This record gives sequence, structure tokens and C-alpha cells, in this order.
Amino acid sequence: MTIALRFSLILSVAGLTALMGCSPDDAASTVPNSTDAVSNSEEDAGAPKDAAFVLGDLIPEFNPPTKEELDNVEWMDKPVVDVYELMANRKESEVAMMTAAEALAVRNKTPEDNHNIVSAMGTLATDGEINYSAEWNRHTSADIRNTNPLMISSSAEFDVSGLLSMGLFSFDWNFTPYGNAGSLVSWQTSSDGLMDMVVMRDDLTWSDGEKITAYDVEFSYQVIMSSAVPIPAVRSGTDQLKCVKAYDERTLVYFHFEPLATNVWNINFPIIPKHKYESTIADDPTLASSPVHVELDENPVSGGAYTILKRVRGQEIILKRRDSYYMFDGQQVRQKPHFETVRFKIIENPNTALLSMKKGELEEMMLTPEQWQSQTNDDDFYKFNTKSYALEWVYYYFGWNFRSPFFKDKRVRQAMSYAFNHQELLEKHRFGMDEASTGIFHRTSPWAPEVAPSSYQQDLTKAEDLLAEAGWEDTDGDGVLDNIVEMDSNFDGESEGSRRVPFEFTILTSNRPDRIAICELLQENLDQIGIRCNVKPVEFTTLQETMLGHKFHAVFAGWGTGADPDTSENLWTTKAIDNGRNYGCYSNPEIDKLFEQGKRELDLGERRKIYQKIHLTLWEDQPYTWLYFRNAYYAFNKSLRGYNYSPRGPYNYGPGADTIFKSAEIQ
Amino acid sequence: MKETTAASENKKSPGFWRHAWLRFRRKKLSMCALIVVFLLSLVAIFSPMIAGTRPIVCKYKGNLYFPCMAYFNADWENPIFQKDRFRKRYPKNLKEKDPDSWAVWPLIFQDPYRPVRNNEWEDRPGNPFNGGEPSSLNIFGTSKGKDVLAMMVHGTRIALLVGFVSTGIAATIGIFVGAVSGYFGGWVDIIISRIIELVMCIPSIVLILALMAVIEQPTIWHMMAILGFTSWTGMARLTRGEFLKLKESEFVAAARSIGVGPFRIMFRHILPNALAPVMVPIVFGIAAAIKVEAGLSLLGFGAPPPNPSWGTILNAGMTNYTEWWQIVFPGVAIFITILAYNLIGEGLQESTDPRLADPKD
Repeated sequence: MTIALRFSLILSVAGLTALMGCSPDDAASTVPNSTDAVSNSEEDAGAPKDAAFVLGDLIPEFNPPTKEELDNVEWMDKPVVDVYELMANRKESEVAMMTAAEALAVRNKTPEDNHNIVSAMGTLATDGEINYSAEWNRHTSADIRNTNPLMISSSAEFDVSGLLSMGLFSFDWNFTPYGNAGSLVSWQTSSDGLMDMVVMRDDLTWSDGEKITAYDVEFSYQVIMSSAVPIPAVRSGTDQLKCVKAYDERTLVYFHFEPLATNVWNINFPIIPKHKYESTIADDPTLASSPVHVELDENPVSGGAYTILKRVRGQEIILKRRDSYYMFDGQQVRQKPHFETVRFKIIENPNTALLSMKKGELEEMMLTPEQWQSQTNDDDFYKFNTKSYALEWVYYYFGWNFRSPFFKDKRVRQAMSYAFNHQELLEKHRFGMDEASTGIFHRTSPWAPEVAPSSYQQDLTKAEDLLAEAGWEDTDGDGVLDNIVEMDSNFDGESEGSRRVPFEFTILTSNRPDRIAICELLQENLDQIGIRCNVKPVEFTTLQETMLGHKFHAVFAGWGTGADPDTSENLWTTKAIDNGRNYGCYSNPEIDKLFEQGKRELDLGERRKIYQKIHLTLWEDQPYTWLYFRNAYYAFNKSLRGYNYSPRGPYNYGPGADTIFKSAEIQ
Repeated sequence: MKETTAASENKKSPGFWRHAWLRFRRKKLSMCALIVVFLLSLVAIFSPMIAGTRPIVCKYKGNLYFPCMAYFNADWENPIFQKDRFRKRYPKNLKEKDPDSWAVWPLIFQDPYRPVRNNEWEDRPGNPFNGGEPSSLNIFGTSKGKDVLAMMVHGTRIALLVGFVSTGIAATIGIFVGAVSGYFGGWVDIIISRIIELVMCIPSIVLILALMAVIEQPTIWHMMAILGFTSWTGMARLTRGEFLKLKESEFVAAARSIGVGPFRIMFRHILPNALAPVMVPIVFGIAAAIKVEAGLSLLGFGAPPPNPSWGTILNAGMTNYTEWWQIVFPGVAIFITILAYNLIGEGLQESTDPRLADPKD
């Protein structure tokens, strides 16, 4: 019920969660800056500021068919599902290893303990078990800047906004897209794949009492497609639509240019109340500056399960359950949200947050691997809490920039992967808990090749041979390899031409001791074979900017997963160098072609083959040295139940946080 | 009568600095502090000989090498120790590749830049990576596998260097600017004084954070320079005051009357007399610079990795408060060093101030 919006954003907007600076484990918002950076540049390219505001000026010319014409189209039904029930069905077929009470008495020391705890604590609520008057104290490491679902970009904003907004579509832990039964009556696709028609429920209301109608969705589409509204991130994906038209209050049709496999994701965008923004947007297309909009951002009209009760900047955000969400005309029409209030406490420092957990003041937080390993094993922690972990499809990598004179040659990049001590990284730096990453898809993903490529193992001799093959040798006897390379004036301002240069480069990383230590390991390994690598820890925003400008040799960072494999188009295609997040300027016509094919292939089996090929081609090219998948490590208060993990963590899928509840037995 | 004059001629009364030294020596705390700083300097100078994984001196294939010098400058390591799969790992390779070789090793076989691995030294276990408590092999414990003691020994070099270099820069600028301002007075003084006030307004930490982000490859030297270029104002003001006072004195008038040039008067005649009050903020400045460097490293913006600054160890310890040894040992080192400099400064202040002089002297 609450998750839908968040998905739409993560999917169509951000595509992938950027983790270079701060993954969820260091909490701060990572997505925002990247989208901001993009928005700035695109804003400049947009309409001049004084030009009159035109709503939906980016929508292509199109005459939608009449209602009668639509009746003649052949329609195919698509699933409209209550994801909560879907989870309940799944849980029926799974036997919990132990009861919650038993699980809470266990200390999570072995993978088996963890398995038991995860299965026991994931059990859904039975009748009468839920304490509906409970409050949930959640942790967020950064304050939110906006509550408007169109503007959100940080992980904290995703979390808060997910509870405040409604969505028509959702997807489950397998990333299968569904129509959201909480909002839709039906969802149909035309047999040619060029249209999607949905019928909305008539019992949807905004928190101010107005009805949520198809016109709100149409209006939201028009706002997203207005050049003066600075939200290019939300626009990418939505701009693949030809038109969105509301035929009446409940009937909505999405028109596509082409029958793409990604259309099911493109129709999923955030929805804002038309009656609030319609008259004010022309005065303030930024949606965030005028007094009316600031007030609306402070006290947003919510379409989701909760509304904002109170917001203290830099301290906390308190959300309150919204009765009009699940009640309509005196009848309960949707599932009652499990918490009376949800309180997000903003605590930046992970140590402070953990201390609050130990005092019972926080009831949920993401742990760093270090905290998991050494600070959450004592009685203090287990007095109020338990912890569990699960695989998350978030991989970390060393990214090599193809514009740098050093990394144009595939053999050099492969040599880097051979030079690095992967075993020590996994065993020591990652505590032996994380899995090695062997490419862009995790081996359990349907898009990964059936036989995953075997991971690189350190082999300095092989690395030296590959480097020598590529021409890197110590010709001047100073102990550092050198070679004649092509200079690129676009890259570092050096004049074009060939020059002999020593192999000395800088790797960027965000300023955290564990990440610096991993880069230092690379530094040490490369030093042994005659390559000077300097480690430069930088602040997150600087890192973002440098990467967007492609002015770096190498970087240590990470990516989360989108629900659809097409989201990684943003990282690998040639067009994404300037308009996406292909920071390392990887360009391969074959990959470009494969992504286009992947979009258009509707047969699942065939589509899978395309992405498997992409996976293997990228692995062969080694534009990244793939390192490891980071697990999701979480601490939960003992009073909480019903949390389940997905490859996107415990919240960012359907039903996600909706199944979490506090037991009535514990007061 | 004659005898007494002869005696007084033989026993020359001590000069100002000699006098100050005599008085300084009587201050026990300050003398202890001076010894501490002296010892720290020794540790800094001989750090590669105290802790390291490279031999101090070795004979390899008929030649004599000093591989430990690589800790001062990576370029000083002979490429012969990288080639032919030697890969900068000495203990086993030396014997394997040249059975006749010999080597003198540092006191502690630990590296400030990397963990020592299993069997790197015959039959010796590698450093524990997590929860590496103090033990016989890692006396101060480990920080992400690196030996804390080795890091601290090499960190001494950074701490002292930062203190001396940045304060050296600051003192040079401060004394010169202050001297010019005080001696010439008038418009020059007004303009320079305004510039001093302007520079005082620049928060150096913010400036350092900004510049370190902009510089392509920031080194510890950049930081010292920035610290030096922002912290000279206090010394400039003091020097200016002294010069304003001394330029009116008779010896200056005398020098001027025989045609001595202004810069010769300033630096040959006035400066030695003005130096005592300026020395004190210089010594305090060293302490302040060390503190700023430790603070920046603690925030993660100090010495670029893998430089083992004391603050960097603290930073690593901050994320894991159960590993107390990463906080206590460098913390104590920073405390002692800054305290020592402050005590020296205080002692210097008291022993150079004629008003505090013991009348018996």
C-alpha cells in the first residue's frame, strides 16, 4: 500500500541507487546529488526563465483515440494484485524454522542462526496479533529536503515519501511488476503493446478529502513533461511515453511509441494532487520556491497510508496513520496500516545511532559490517534488539576511466583485476560475509548468465605479463612502469599526441576508513608490480561532480540494482556518457545494440539471453574490477515482526515495510 | 682596585640568550618537555630504523643498499628490489635470490603502510585484521591489520614536520611582514595591518578543506603550506609592535645616522632585539599546527592515505570504539607532544621576559 511510489521513483527515476559515497550503510543520501547535478545542467538547457510556463511542453504531438475507438481495441488482462496477500501466500508455503520468541532468544552468530532468525521474524501477523496503537522509531541518517514525490532523490526521502504517497503499480521481491490492487480495479494492455489501460478504484482520497482520480495522474504526467520543472531524473523513463490520457475520473490510458519490455516500468511515475498544484505551478515551476509550494511541502497532501504530523528539521519527522486511507464511507476498504505513528529519527553518526538502538530509542537501523562484526554481540545490544542479514544486489567496484591514458587498453584493466588481492578483501575487509561480485548481475538474478564467470584471483605474474604485453615496462629504470600513451586534451588538459609517461594515477573514494583501506590494498598490490597508485578520499559532493565531469582515472564505488535490467543501460551505453551515469566513458557499439534489443524483446527467455550476453561482454572488457556484493545488515527492535528481505533490502519492494508490525503481546 | 677590574673583565656577564637559557634550565617541567621533543625528533629521524619491513642496510648481489630510505621517499628504493618478482618483499627474497646476502633489520618488523602477512617473515603469523588487540607482535595493537606502533613511529615524522614546516613558513612571513609594517609605519603600516586583519578572518580549517578538495593530488606538504600561509598573523602583529617600539631607540637612530640601509637596520639590528617575544608564539604555533593536522586527519581530510598520521589512526578508531587501542595510544601521543610544546613555549616566555627575571641573576 505504501511502497508503490517509492518503486516508481527508484525504477523510472533513479534507475539505480548510487552508492559511491554512501550506500545505505553509511546512510546519507546518495541519489540526490547525482540527480541534482544532472538537473542543473539540464535546467540551463531548458526554456529561458522568463518564458511563459507551458504545461507539458515536452509531450509530443498526438491525437489520442476516442473512448469508442478504444472499445474496438483488443485488450489483454494484466495482473492486479495485492502484494501483501502475495507475501502471505509465499509465507504459507514456507515453514518458519522457529517461533519469533525462540528466534529472539538466539544470538546471530552463524549463517544458520541467521537463517532461523530471518525466517522466524519474517512471519506475517495473525489476526489480533498487531498492536495498532504502536509507534515505530526508525533511523534515517539524513534529513529530507522535499516531501513532494516528484522532487525526492535521497534514500531518506524515498523512505518517508513511500509512506506519504500512493502508486498505481508495484512489484514484488522477484521484481515482477503488478497493478496495485489497493489503487486499481483492472489493468489491460492492447494486443499490439502500444497502450495500457487502467481503471482506478473509486474509493481513493487525498488526505484533504478530495478524490484521487485519473485526472491527477494525467496532470502529474504533464508536470513531469514540462521543461520548466527541474526534474529530469523523474522524466527519464516517463519520456518514453507518447501520451497519458484520462478518459473519465477512473479510466486512464497510457500510449507508447513502441511495444517495449520496459513499458511496464515507464507507466509508473509519482502522482501529485492536481487540485493543489494546477493553479500555482505557472507561478513557480520549480514547485519548491513560492510560499504556497513551500507550505505544501511542509504539510503535503498525502495520498498514502500516513500523513506528516510534525517535522523538526535535523531531528525527526513524525508520520501519523491516515484514517481516510483505509476507511471510505465508514467501511474499511484497504488494509489498516500497522502503526499509529512512524517516527524517523535523524542521526548522522552511525555510532550514535547504534547507541540509541542499544538504549531502545531506535527500533530499526542498517548496520555497517563493522558494527555487525564487533559492536552488536554484547548483552547491551541483545537486551532490546536482534539482528539479521540477507543478500542484497549491491555491488562495489573499482571503475576505470576510458578517457584516462592508462585504462584504454583491455589488457591493462584485466591486469588491474589480476593484481588486486580479492581474497584478502573478502576475508579481511568484508569479514568473510560478502560474496565476490562477478559482473553486473548477481548469480541469483534471472538476468545473470547460467554459469557465472569465475572471479579473478590475485596473480601478480599474470598482471605483469599482461602489462608488458600492453607495452608497460620500466624502460628508464626508476622502478615505475612507463609506456608511450595517447594523450586526450579533453581529459586533463594536456595537449594531444603521444608521450612516454610513468604509470602513476589517483583513485578516488569517499571519505570512510573502510573504503580507504580497500583502496590502500589496491595501492599496495600495484606498488609491488611497479605502478604508483595514489588514494584520494574526497567528500561525497566533490566525488559526484568529478565523476560527472569524467575527470578521474579510477574510482571506488558501488551500484544498487533497479528492478528491471534495462536500468543499467544508464551505466554502460555510449549515450549515457553525457546523459547518464556512465562515468568511466565505457563505449562499446555491441553493448549499445544489445541494450536496444533488450528493451524491445518481449519474450522473457530471449530477453534473458540478451542481458546474459551483456553481462559476459562487460566481464570480458573489465571496465570495472568487480569486487563484492554487500549484504544488507539490519538491527531490529525485539518488538518488531514481519520483516522480509529482498535483493533491494527489507523496504524497497512490495510489500516491504507494510508487513512489519509490533506484536500486541509486548507492551 | 686593579684586581677587581681585571676580574670583572675576565668574567663577562652573560648575554641575553645565555641568560634566558640559564633561567630556562631551572624550570623542570620545561626541561622535561624539551627532552620529550628531542626524543620525538630522534624517533622521527630514525623511524625507518625503528619500525619497517625493509632492511636498514643489506648486501645484495655484491652491492650495499639502504632500502629503509624508501620510507622517506619512495623513489629512493632501488628498482632492483621490485624487478624479477622481488616485489618489495625482502625477508625471503633476499635469501632466495642471493644466498650470500645479509641484512640489518629494523627493531620492529612491522610496516606503517600495510599489514604484515602470514609467513612473510619465517614462521611468523600475520597481523590480526579485526580486533587486533595489543600483543607481543603488535605492541600497540593493529588498525585494519596495520601495526599501530609502526604507524605511530612513522606518524611522528608527520607530526613534527607539520609543526616545524608550517610554523617556519608562518614565522618567515609573519616576521617579514610585521617588520616592514612596524619599521616603515604610516601608509605601509595601515595597509599591511588591514591585510593582516583580512587574513585573520579566513578560517584556516575551512580553507584547507576547500583547497584539499581542489588540488589534484594533495600531499602533506600542501597542508603545511596552507597552515603556514594562514597562521602568520599573530607573529606579524607582535613583530610589528616590537618594531614600532624599537625603531625609536637610540641604537636605531645611531645606525640610521651613519647611513645604514633600512633592511639592514631591520634585520641586523632591530630583529635580534625583537626576537624574544616572537619566539613564544612560534613555539605555541608548532603545537597548534600539530593539533590542526591531527584534527584534520581525524575528520579524514589530513595526510592523504596511506600516510600514517596520528589523527588518521584516531579516525580509524572512531568507527569502532571497542578497539580502544586505536584511540588511546595516538591520543596520548598527540596530548604529550602538544603539551610538551606548550610547556616549552611557556618556559621560553618566562625566561625571556626581563620583568620575570630573578633579581639575583
